[in-house]
Amino acid sequence: MESRKEEFEATCNLFINSVNNYFKHLTEIDSNIRVPYLKEANGLLLKDYTGMIAISGSRKGFVYISANREMFGDLIHMFIGIDDPSDEDILDMAGEISNVVAGNVRANLGANFMISVPIVFEGMPKELKIPENVSIYVIPIQWNNHEAFVVLGLE
Amino acid sequence: MKKRLLIVDDSSIMRRTIEKNLANYDLEIIGQASNGVEALELVKQEKPDVVTLDITMPEMNGIQCLEEIMKIHPSCKVMIITALSDKLTGLIALDKGARGFLYKPVSAEDLERSFNKLLKRNGE
Repeated sequence: MESRKEEFEATCNLFINSVNNYFKHLTEIDSNIRVPYLKEANGLLLKDYTGMIAISGSRKGFVYISANREMFGDLIHMFIGIDDPSDEDILDMAGEISNVVAGNVRANLGANFMISVPIVFEGMPKELKIPENVSIYVIPIQWNNHEAFVVLGLE
Repeated sequence: MKKRLLIVDDSSIMRRTIEKNLANYDLEIIGQASNGVEALELVKQEKPDVVTLDITMPEMNGIQCLEEIMKIHPSCKVMIITALSDKLTGLIALDKGARGFLYKPVSAEDLERSFNKLLKRNGE
């Protein structure tokens, strides 16, 4: 029987594959995954803009993707050709990528792995509270010379 | 005669991406909606021929919206475009009347292939 640690790592790998697939499929530019690591819950790793998805059902927790404006701006430029996206566009892009990365994991984990609509924010909102009973796994990624964090927290 | 298209997705970037990638098709975009409630209002008013429909949306999700669309405008061709890539969700959508199903991330080529099939272009 799979241990909790192995199960957690297997789930993390699904997210890594999902992120890689997103960038490769839509941009034909590979993302590079740096060495992932476990993080204590005190203090979150955030870039300028973040899209977060709450996870419920068979697993409970969250996943977020956080990056600077330039990375989301590059994606928007590739998708719809605009050079000067609004803050709203940047947040929308952060939400959409987090939705796709989380939703694609259901190919392996099934429909009981339930995801919320994206919660998007700029900076570090004061009201953002992370549950204490989650293991937090940080996956640093590089895509098109931008750095981003995929952060997975699961009970 | 141009087919009339409604685009439904809570992401504005995604709605505009779909619009851009379908620009070469003989389609008139009659509206865009960011959730199922807005979509239903537009379906009642405009009776579109084709709807692209996301599933994970606020207010009313795409599966509930699809059920309602099929009640009020059953000839409408609904193409689900969703990140929820489990087989069960696809089967539920097809069972409830969707004519096509695409998993995000969706490239221009994916969309083209699916719309060729949906609109029976290229002899498919």
